[in-house]
Amino acid sequence: MRPENYQSVNHPPSNEFELFFGPNHPGIEGNYALKVRVNGDEVTSARADGGYLHRGFEKLMEGRLWIQNIALVPRICVPDPVPMEVCYSLAIEELGGIEVPERAQWIRVMQLELSRIAAHLFTFGGHAATTGMYTPMFWGIADRDLILDLFEELSGGRVYHIFNIPGGVRRDLPPGYLDRVSKTLDYIESRLPDYDNLLFTNKVFVHRATGVGVLNQEQALEWAVTGPNLRATGLDFDVRRDDPYLVYDQIEFDVPVEQAGDAWARALVRRSELKESLRILRQVVAKLPSVGGPIRAPIPNPLAWNLPAGDVYTRVESSKGELAYYVVSNGGDKPYRVHVRGPSAMHAVQVLENLVTGARIEDVAQIMFSLDACPPEVDR
Amino acid sequence: MKLSPTSNLSASLEFLLQEISGLRSQWKSPRRLRVDLQAETLPALIELLKGRAGFVHLSAISCVDWPAQNEFELVYHLWSYEVKVLVMAHIRIPRDPGIYLSIYDLYRPAAFFERDIHEMFGLFFEGSPDMGKFILTEWDGPPPMRKEFDGEAWVMNQFDWQDYQPGWLKDIEAKGGGITTRPEDVRRDKPKPWDEQS
Repeated sequence: MRPENYQSVNHPPSNEFELFFGPNHPGIEGNYALKVRVNGDEVTSARADGGYLHRGFEKLMEGRLWIQNIALVPRICVPDPVPMEVCYSLAIEELGGIEVPERAQWIRVMQLELSRIAAHLFTFGGHAATTGMYTPMFWGIADRDLILDLFEELSGGRVYHIFNIPGGVRRDLPPGYLDRVSKTLDYIESRLPDYDNLLFTNKVFVHRATGVGVLNQEQALEWAVTGPNLRATGLDFDVRRDDPYLVYDQIEFDVPVEQAGDAWARALVRRSELKESLRILRQVVAKLPSVGGPIRAPIPNPLAWNLPAGDVYTRVESSKGELAYYVVSNGGDKPYRVHVRGPSAMHAVQVLENLVTGARIEDVAQIMFSLDACPPEVDR
Repeated sequence: MKLSPTSNLSASLEFLLQEISGLRSQWKSPRRLRVDLQAETLPALIELLKGRAGFVHLSAISCVDWPAQNEFELVYHLWSYEVKVLVMAHIRIPRDPGIYLSIYDLYRPAAFFERDIHEMFGLFFEGSPDMGKFILTEWDGPPPMRKEFDGEAWVMNQFDWQDYQPGWLKDIEAKGGGITTRPEDVRRDKPKPWDEQS
């Protein structure tokens, strides 16, 4: 709300007051607001207020060529941009009937998992910071930087890579790249015991996170919760395994599940997923040298590329949950309609409002971060 | 008949869908079923899919504007964790008056998508718990995602270019620094250097 439009309201005398979390708050990634009514230390009602990061991506995409939108989509989620590129590219490839070469698919999986590790490291740190522990945040961001270095070497961009294009990937791996990936994986794996000592066996963190923001499986299904938040309630579902895309059906990995459904369980699921992502990446590093062939399927001149009319719904598993693109073509050189279904659109509005109601004031930021909501996905 | 993951999935799902009159279904891939039906029969389909086929997950509701036919297309994406199929139910409703029924009573997440569609397309859902603004809080223009809304033209009509020349900047510019491109140089209607060359 613009300040000049704010009008104070005279509430009847009560011991409740209104507290604004955000739009600039360290308890959430990005600009997002949560208006809570508080009675003493207890939250009596909460209202999510988005739109601070609305940039109108869906409208902008209707005015740009199919290939130009590749530069737009990663900006929809800053901490985890690769799934956006891949999901959009998968939609175009399905519309245009393009077969992606196997090598490109493996390179995409490698990026997706690197991005997942980077996003989870970021989330650990943020979650710990909301309970007053700032060291994991510095560690997480420092370790994430090593993955950004890998992305920089691969694509030239640290945060936005614009590397996955319809038909495949832009460039092949630089010489010796897989060795450097391998070394980074070794390093991150060697850091995991440190993270455990610092955070996951830390009594302060365990006590603060246990029993906070509890979501049972029935509620999670009712509110369309996906991703690690859903797996923390005991439902064994992962888009990578159950609605497979790329080469995930050739890769061996487990889907970690926790039962408690609270902030602690969500942190544990992400912690186990980190390990699974490392395991997937080891397989990719071992496999990639033996997968030859092109990195890109031939596509028509992208500046005059008319995709056949039709519509497609593609889904990928991002670090936050189920990410989906609904893309409609009317036979033109630009998308007729693109609808981005970000996982956070569910987590940051209805689920957050429900979980925060009845919680204590000091847990609000922690609940926000344990849901790992990404506000730009809500606003688009 | 109840669906089970072991049964011949496509056949049993299609068998179940025959109960809805005027429905056309098409398998786009082994896990994607496109369904076209009349707007009046959608609540019956939703109830059937959720109640008897285990489609508990509403993945999204998408809206597509078709001004040539004067219609909105609504697409309900429903996923079943048990049978692992995504049903995309397509309906068309007239743009005028642009009112449809909410499915909030069966799927809670619908509230978010319906609110979003109302905000972006101006389509009203009867029975949805909250049709208030969420993203475009202080927007009073037309619904921006409609095809006739031209964002660039709206900006050009609505805003003037500001000539930002405070005193301290003038001092800097007198020394050769500051903003080198004047607002009148970036106007769209002004010929560009490369126009003159060609």
